Amino acid sequence: MSILCGCSQSYRWNQSHPSYKKAPEGSIAVTGLDEAFVVTRSSWFAKKLEISKDSIQTFTSNFCSKAFLEELRKAYASVTVIPDAAINHFPEESQKLDSRIFMKGHLPEQGVVVKDSSGNVPPYILIIHEFILGTDLQREDFYDYALIHNEAPEKKTSKNLSAIVSYTLWDNEKQRPLYSAVNQVDQPNVKLSLADITQIVASSVKQIKRNLTAGVQ
Amino acid sequence: MKRFILAILIFACSIFADNVFFHNHWTLWKDADVLIWSTDKSPALDPKEFCLSLKRNNMGIGEPKCRLAGEWERDSIAVLYAGWLLANMDNNVKPEHLRARHPAMVTRIQSVEDKLVLFIGNRDGEIYAATFDENSAEPVAAGSFSNTGDKIALGDKIAAAFFDGHTTRRLSKAERAKRMTEPDESYKEIPGFQGWAGIAVGYSQAQIPLTPDNWYSSHTRSRVRNYRITKDSASLWNFIEDSDPQMALYAGGTWYGFIGAELMYRYAYHKVKTDDQDTIYQELSYWGFHQHEVGINVVLSRTYTYTKWFKTTPFAFIGFQYSFFVEDIGLKDDKKPHSKAYDVRIKFEDSYKGALVGIGNHFIFFKHYGLGVRAGISSRGRNIEEDPSPDAAAEPTTIGSSTIDCFINLGLEYHFSM
Repeated sequence: MSILCGCSQSYRWNQSHPSYKKAPEGSIAVTGLDEAFVVTRSSWFAKKLEISKDSIQTFTSNFCSKAFLEELRKAYASVTVIPDAAINHFPEESQKLDSRIFMKGHLPEQGVVVKDSSGNVPPYILIIHEFILGTDLQREDFYDYALIHNEAPEKKTSKNLSAIVSYTLWDNEKQRPLYSAVNQVDQPNVKLSLADITQIVASSVKQIKRNLTAGVQ
Repeated sequence: MKRFILAILIFACSIFADNVFFHNHWTLWKDADVLIWSTDKSPALDPKEFCLSLKRNNMGIGEPKCRLAGEWERDSIAVLYAGWLLANMDNNVKPEHLRARHPAMVTRIQSVEDKLVLFIGNRDGEIYAATFDENSAEPVAAGSFSNTGDKIALGDKIAAAFFDGHTTRRLSKAERAKRMTEPDESYKEIPGFQGWAGIAVGYSQAQIPLTPDNWYSSHTRSRVRNYRITKDSASLWNFIEDSDPQMALYAGGTWYGFIGAELMYRYAYHKVKTDDQDTIYQELSYWGFHQHEVGINVVLSRTYTYTKWFKTTPFAFIGFQYSFFVEDIGLKDDKKPHSKAYDVRIKFEDSYKGALVGIGNHFIFFKHYGLGVRAGISSRGRNIEEDPSPDAAAEPTTIGSSTIDCFINLGLEYHFSM
């Protein structure tokens, strides 16, 4: 079968736990925002945004993180931010989404609940593993294990601004991944400005919320 | 038999009364070493009683040893996982959803060697149970059982749900070490060869079993008038009888116990189906054709050994063959002048080329003496080595270009191996 499909590969980009019965509404906790954001083609971004090459990663990371949180606050009434340090010390693990699609990330240990800064136990934690911002990106190039080591010629096209985000909705009470997915958003690139980046991060957050609802079993 | 039905009934009842979430195939050791792992203050199972339950439930389990998994109960990582496992066991989960993720826990599970770990936990008054073996970090079986407080009854239920079925003897350390150093048959420099030769009798007919009569009736009912006239000449069964006994000689062999080749020769005699109402045949004494066929088959087979002196080798074959039909005709009185139609009677092609396909089985007794049975379908067609002539359309069709029959035969064989 896989031989027949070899030419036109189609992937499954999400995975739900059989016990995922209800999507979070109203309140959610989020973690991973400190270190998840990565910019590819940083010099191109630096040039377009007129920021020095040395600080482009830090700048966009902070900028996107803020935009992400802002949009998330619009989608959920109460958003709790948990610092990356709360889960970064757990070992990094792979989650399998499809026969060739694996996403990596830190997940809390079995039997250990994650507490927020005020000591409460949020029922759901949205763990953002990786948020890649770039131009004309394809998510299979990053997550299909058969393709990730390909040394493709460096792409210099910039028709679209792309954002790829891998995330897990974590059931903090029973310590299990309820929903894991890799999303991709493409946005036509006219003339890059900070507003474009805000917009793509916002549409990414909207897509995450849509998928969390659609993923309910 | 009664005991068997009872066992099935008990098993069925236990499934309905309680809830087995999944039960994958796993190796149940004879004289099993069962570790009962629980984080409850007083485990719902009593090791001694559980051992007796195992023996009652499965006669083949031998002398099991049951004890509490003290080391697991004291380990903090195992305690965390036990709590998690108990909270997450549910009707809709698959084994992979219960996989242990902590590396230390994975190592712990994979180092049980050939012991069996039975996890028992009490959640909301229900008893949840899961079993682990060394092959993966996830439970191989899990289920929930109603808690009546009766340890013996619970032990019986768990034993019936998870510890049923065939048991395997554990190899000793020395046996295992020896097994490790044994060479792998598949990597031998000279492949193992198993050969056979046989003589068989059989039967063939045009109609393939389970297919409708009317596919063949135009051929099998056809009669030959005036030494050559039939309705249709595509199949030789228009001219000669199709259902006749046959004899076969064959010899072949397989390499690696899997792939092989076989040469064969088959003989049959077919009478011509002369039309009784045609008076021209009054001069005829006998008329028939000797059918000689030689061919070569590719054989795919696998051998199953049951006892020291008996094994069977089911096989499938596909091959090609050449068929020769040698005419055998005689008149009542050779001296009298015969009819003109006799001189221009039907002639078959010099040879036909065809294919055959089928399945069979060798039953081998005492390594050498075999009984072989096989059945298949064979065809005879035009000899395609000849180029078609430019005015092929104008030529009459080749006589017997589509002659198909099926056959079955039973042979006496001699087997040998090198």
